[in-house]
Amino acid sequence: MNVELRFFANFREAVGQKEIGWEVDGDATVGSVLRDVEAEYPEVDIFNEDGEVREFLSIMKNGRDITYMDGPETRLESDDTVSVFPPVAGG
Amino acid sequence: MALDLDAEQLDRYSRHIIMDDVGPEGQAALLDSSVLVVGAGGLGAPVLQYLAAAGVGHIGIADDDVVELSNLQRQVIHGNDDVGRPKVDSAEEFIAALNPDVDVDTYETRVTQDNAESLIEGYDVIVDASDNFPTRFLLNDACMLADKPLSHGAVYKFEGQATTLTGGPCYRCLFPEAPPEGTIPNCAEAGVLGVLPGTIGAIQATEVIKLILDEGDTLEGRLLAYDAGGMSFDFVPIAPNPECPVCGDQPHIDSVTEGEYAGACTLGD
Repeated sequence: MNVELRFFANFREAVGQKEIGWEVDGDATVGSVLRDVEAEYPEVDIFNEDGEVREFLSIMKNGRDITYMDGPETRLESDDTVSVFPPVAGG
Repeated sequence: MALDLDAEQLDRYSRHIIMDDVGPEGQAALLDSSVLVVGAGGLGAPVLQYLAAAGVGHIGIADDDVVELSNLQRQVIHGNDDVGRPKVDSAEEFIAALNPDVDVDTYETRVTQDNAESLIEGYDVIVDASDNFPTRFLLNDACMLADKPLSHGAVYKFEGQATTLTGGPCYRCLFPEAPPEGTIPNCAEAGVLGVLPGTIGAIQATEVIKLILDEGDTLEGRLLAYDAGGMSFDFVPIAPNPECPVCGDQPHIDSVTEGEYAGACTLGD
């Protein structure tokens, strides 16, 4: 199945585009997809040394923070959208 | 209250006054309000312009920088002759030239753990137009603890974010901690499209004016993500986080004078 990945701010530069379609298995989770993305794009840095999503990032499935679902174990369905959303500080 | 407006004010603010949603009462509320703008740079410039033009009666400006030539590509309240001068001084002069109804207080300082509480104390609304994470997290915490509404805006290259925080959910509900220093580049490192903070700052000014007028729906509970490149506006919901260290069920930040905001800006447990 296919899911859509959306990137903001410096993550957009790290993958070179705003949105990419991503082919995943039926048992894919938000975490498994983002690990694949990390493997594909060396400049993408989402997980810390302990394998947890970095504290300063907001990861969303279909516009909702995965913190309030099952975290990285949140299951994906076809056509779901996963967003990687960092804070920015410039003023 | 309408009688409080003199003839010149009735003329100056006539486009507000003829609207039902503002009217003489709303204009009087604006003239009676006070707003602290932290940062007189890219975001602060349009915020100060529009708040002053709207007749916000008391504006505080906190900034410890001087105007640099590289600022003028976007910081439209400062001019060529201001290069080298404190930003708070040229900002104050800009406002004085625009609208004599506005009383300005300037604070040529960074917002610190020691002065944050006293700086925000006398103001109705606080605007985060700063340019760094330590100040942003400090303002979030100080405003949440003091129950002050906070307008948040931030920019990065072609992208901007804005939200309005009125007691929870707060900025930490979405981003519990600041990124380690160097993780997310700032304007000086990454660059910024000059007009972008104009857009985001104008949105922040809009939110502040709505809060004062108690009109419309603010960005409370949602973060606006604007992409000037794609000319798109996305909204990210901000849900109250029960584990939020400031506004959660068992908050462990009860004062901004403790904890660590400088550098990586993470809080020790």
